[in-house]
Amino acid sequence: MSYTSLILKILDGAGASFIIFFTTLLFSLPLGILIMFARMSKVKPLSAVTRFIISILRGTPLMLQLIVWFFGPYYIFGLKLNYSWRIVSIILGFSINYAAYFAEIYRSGLISIPISQYEAATVLGYTKSQTFIKIIFPQMVKRVLPAVTNEIITLIKDTSLAFVVAYAEMFTIAKQVAAKETTIVPLFIAGLFYYIFNYIVAFAMERIEKAFDYYR
Amino acid sequence: MSLFEIKNCKKTFNGQKVLDDISFKINEGEVLAIIGSSGSGKTTLLRICTFLECMDDGEMWYLDNQVVSSSSGRAKYIGQDDLSLDSLNKNKELVKIKSYFGLVFQSFNLFPHWTVLKNVMDAPISVQKRNPNEVKERAMYFLKKMGLEDKANNYPCELSGGQQQRVAIARALCLEPKIIYFDEPTSALDPELTSEILKVIKELAKEKRTMVIVTHEMNFARDVADRVIFMNDGVVVEEGNAYDLITNPKKERTKRFLQKYNE
Ligand SMILES: Nc1ncnc2c1ncn2[C@@H]1O[C@H](COP(=O)(O)OP(=O)(O)O)[C@@H](O)[C@H]1O
Ligand SMILES: [Mg+2]
Repeated sequence: MSYTSLILKILDGAGASFIIFFTTLLFSLPLGILIMFARMSKVKPLSAVTRFIISILRGTPLMLQLIVWFFGPYYIFGLKLNYSWRIVSIILGFSINYAAYFAEIYRSGLISIPISQYEAATVLGYTKSQTFIKIIFPQMVKRVLPAVTNEIITLIKDTSLAFVVAYAEMFTIAKQVAAKETTIVPLFIAGLFYYIFNYIVAFAMERIEKAFDYYR
Repeated sequence: MSLFEIKNCKKTFNGQKVLDDISFKINEGEVLAIIGSSGSGKTTLLRICTFLECMDDGEMWYLDNQVVSSSSGRAKYIGQDDLSLDSLNKNKELVKIKSYFGLVFQSFNLFPHWTVLKNVMDAPISVQKRNPNEVKERAMYFLKKMGLEDKANNYPCELSGGQQQRVAIARALCLEPKIIYFDEPTSALDPELTSEILKVIKELAKEKRTMVIVTHEMNFARDVADRVIFMNDGVVVEEGNAYDLITNPKKERTKRFLQKYNE
């Protein structure tokens, strides 16, 4: 196999990896906020259940969770699933797992904001939702950015876990080609792609963090 | 006319009596200083007056609105049945009353992600729904008064403590409250910045603004306040004309307290 066709093939897989990466962020970043609210709810059963679910999501391997999402509907409910379930289950598995991590990151950011900020807002007459949206949330974002960046970088590498359900993302493809052609080059190329991708994301996140540097 | 009155206010924290039968009035145009050793309940009292805390029992009025009444030994807040802070903040009738007062904190509590101007302008616009152009004019007027017109576009972290506190005062003023409470507005500042803030408050007193000031600055209280309340262990020990009380206290406890400031 020529290098050009090899790279093209891996690029194909990179596209698939990117789709997992992007959709996971798209869903998990906001879903994390909902989970955080449920976790911090004053309704005790809701916060207890959420806390339990978060502990499961964080306490078991993501690889295992992906397998459960993919095979679960068949083994548990006897449902026959069509081809597109593969990608749907991957996105569900990733998004919900990452949302659990983001929820805890958001929560730690939220509780690090001094009570006095809420009190100042209350006396000025802001409603609870105004206080959250205008005053607390923007400060929370700044505080959680470094931790969120770490998660995002982990996610890039984690996309390779989709191989457990035989999804043709970059790592799966590189491994297949490597086996067929008995060469390690495809894996090196894939590794290089992951690295470049990470580099770009880290750079972008650094810029975003800098954009919040205007205040302390 | 009295703008505010509190009667027989009681507050307990975990079984510890923090306020016991506090009563006083604030008249329009008057400056009231509250003095007393730390732990005597001054902050708790201001927090009750500004709805950051609920009292256990007692009565409270803003103008002729009775905000709290006493029913069978329990405080009853207007428009609600329970005594929870959370519902206090959602209470529609209290929200209206909130526009009658402003509070300046010891630690300024500006919003760090907003410019000075936005800190001053935002609540009048998004809480009081006033016209943004009119609010901006007012905000610049108050910032100018505080000597900060050139800092309008700076962020709080770029200002000194004294400047931040002046922004906090402008923020309170811009909501056009009838009463402004100050909780030790200079305690977080060094002496030089302290005098800068005291000067500003003195100016406000000259304009006949109604203010309640918790302070450890006895000379300031003597010269600027009309009336002084001395609190100790959650009770009002002595109350009276500012000059008389500070220069010539009647009660033994007050004398001992004031002596510490003359050493
Ligand atoms: N949220 C609270 N929980 C428990 N105790 C409190 C709380 N707030 C104040 N206290 C207690 O109430 C007493 C009065 O405090 P405070 O009102 O802050 O006094 P001051 O402002 O005069 O120094 C102190 O003994 C303090 O420990
Ligand atoms: Mg205090």
